[in-house]
Amino acid sequence: MSEGSSTTGLQLKAIEVRNLTKVFAGDVRALDRLSLSVDPGTIYALLGPNGAGKTTAISIMTTLARPTDGAARIYGKDVITSGKNVRKNIGVTFQEMILDDALTGRQVLTYHGRLYRMSRNDCRSRAKELLDLVDLTVAADRKCKTYSGGMKRRLELARALMTVPKVLFLDEPTLGLDPSGRVQIWEYIQTLVKESDLTVLLTTHYLDEAYQLADKVGILDRGRLVVEGPPDRLIDELGADTIMISGYGPKEDLVKKLKTLQFVQMASAVDDGLLLGVESSSKNLAGIVSETLKCGFKIEDVFVSKPDLGMVFAKYTGHILEKGEKE
Amino acid sequence: MTAVASATATIWNKHMRKFLMNTEELFGTMIQPILWVALFGLGMRGVMGAGGTMNTANYIGFMLPGIVALSAMGGAIGGGMTWLDERVRGILKEYLVAPVPRGSILFGNAASTVTKASIQAVVIFIVGMLLGARPSGGLFEWLLAVVLMIAYALGFSGLALSVASQTDDLMAYHAMIMLLNLPVLFLSNALYPLASMPSWMRVGAMANPTSYLVDGLRQLLLIEPGQVSDFPLWLCAVVVLAFAAAGLALAAKSISAKTARG
Repeated sequence: MSEGSSTTGLQLKAIEVRNLTKVFAGDVRALDRLSLSVDPGTIYALLGPNGAGKTTAISIMTTLARPTDGAARIYGKDVITSGKNVRKNIGVTFQEMILDDALTGRQVLTYHGRLYRMSRNDCRSRAKELLDLVDLTVAADRKCKTYSGGMKRRLELARALMTVPKVLFLDEPTLGLDPSGRVQIWEYIQTLVKESDLTVLLTTHYLDEAYQLADKVGILDRGRLVVEGPPDRLIDELGADTIMISGYGPKEDLVKKLKTLQFVQMASAVDDGLLLGVESSSKNLAGIVSETLKCGFKIEDVFVSKPDLGMVFAKYTGHILEKGEKE
Repeated sequence: MTAVASATATIWNKHMRKFLMNTEELFGTMIQPILWVALFGLGMRGVMGAGGTMNTANYIGFMLPGIVALSAMGGAIGGGMTWLDERVRGILKEYLVAPVPRGSILFGNAASTVTKASIQAVVIFIVGMLLGARPSGGLFEWLLAVVLMIAYALGFSGLALSVASQTDDLMAYHAMIMLLNLPVLFLSNALYPLASMPSWMRVGAMANPTSYLVDGLRQLLLIEPGQVSDFPLWLCAVVVLAFAAAGLALAAKSISAKTARG
């Protein structure tokens, strides 16, 4: 591929991934022809359950792992052939908390900056600024082993930003945090993107996180990108209301039948039932239930709700994304 | 090269800072050689004197190089632990996503090990002199002694880093290191003269680079009238420098295997 292919339209993409494939020993296909692109100054969320390939994708984009096939570029620089250049321009936080916790928060930031050959003065002033941003100024000179989980996450975020990266990679940035801690991290990320030209790629298995933060969501399932787009558009495509019917019986014929109904915008079989998008649940529910029973499907439960990214996930993967998934 | 030097300096600085911030480690590192010299040295002084193998006043001087070697070993073991810890806790990943040449991970670790060993050596010599050792030697002798000590510490640091690359388990690392540790100290001329050993032990001691460091330091700084050295000085230098090169090469190989991008 020529370098020119990384520019689509007029603007150089912040992240450009083409047909990324990663096969591990034992023929485990962690990534299967993943392609995506992220515009500068936007937030992209890779949403998927554990084991979908999110971390593998981030590892390749951050030069930690090599793809079996395909290519990834950060502002036009190939992660393999220009690894050093890529590393200079990215900031990364990992899924697991990685901190030298015998150091103070300020030292963690300063040493990080020094690794990137920032001057002592720059390190000092940047660390001060970031500690302030993530509200750690008071705790800055305490060893990080005394920090709470939320404080550690905030420090990691600050560390990733220390070297003024162009692209920030966040692998499950709120994993292990309580709800208020998560909201706080979201606010920092949003503030940062608004105030600078920063591009963010984050992975998450939290629906609300992807919805709240992302300009564009990519749903990843078993190494494949099943759909991507702005979260609101993906959700709107489902219909005004969604109906989830669980039970047992012949699903395929039923789905076909229901799709012919005029008010049904979307119907697909999921784990143990059906997911439907309709114009209005209050008006359409009775019709759907009677049609379902007519086809010989035994209904155990009917669940009506406004569509969300979980429904989008179910529609495209045929699976329910567990909300209470353990970490 | 400047990129390597800069990252090496940063990693060295970080390790030293952590060392100085860790009161327990700092205290232990300083006290241990003092105890060795004071307790073992003073205790053995009587035995060695009674056995008639050497002049009683000199045993402290005789054993100082061995304790320097022992401390360098201790420092190297700690360096291996740091490498293991940084790997297990993922701090290695922080280096790998940064524009940090991989060589500096090895050099930074080895440099902090050597620094700690040098600080300990100074303490050992001070305590030894307080207890009656009388080092001699001019500037050249001292310089060469410092070079040999640093080379030995580098070699051992490489060995420890390589052992620490074989496992992700701290206990397993300690078990492997202990296996190395004892013969390296006791199967050498560090605590008793080569001449007083059974011949099978002497063969072992002659295969041990520690003996060459110890003998080299003795010849350079602590030689007594009438005392015979075990090896020619040039051989001591060659063996210790070769040990440094071999240790570092081994570590470079192990570390590069552990930092390969999968």
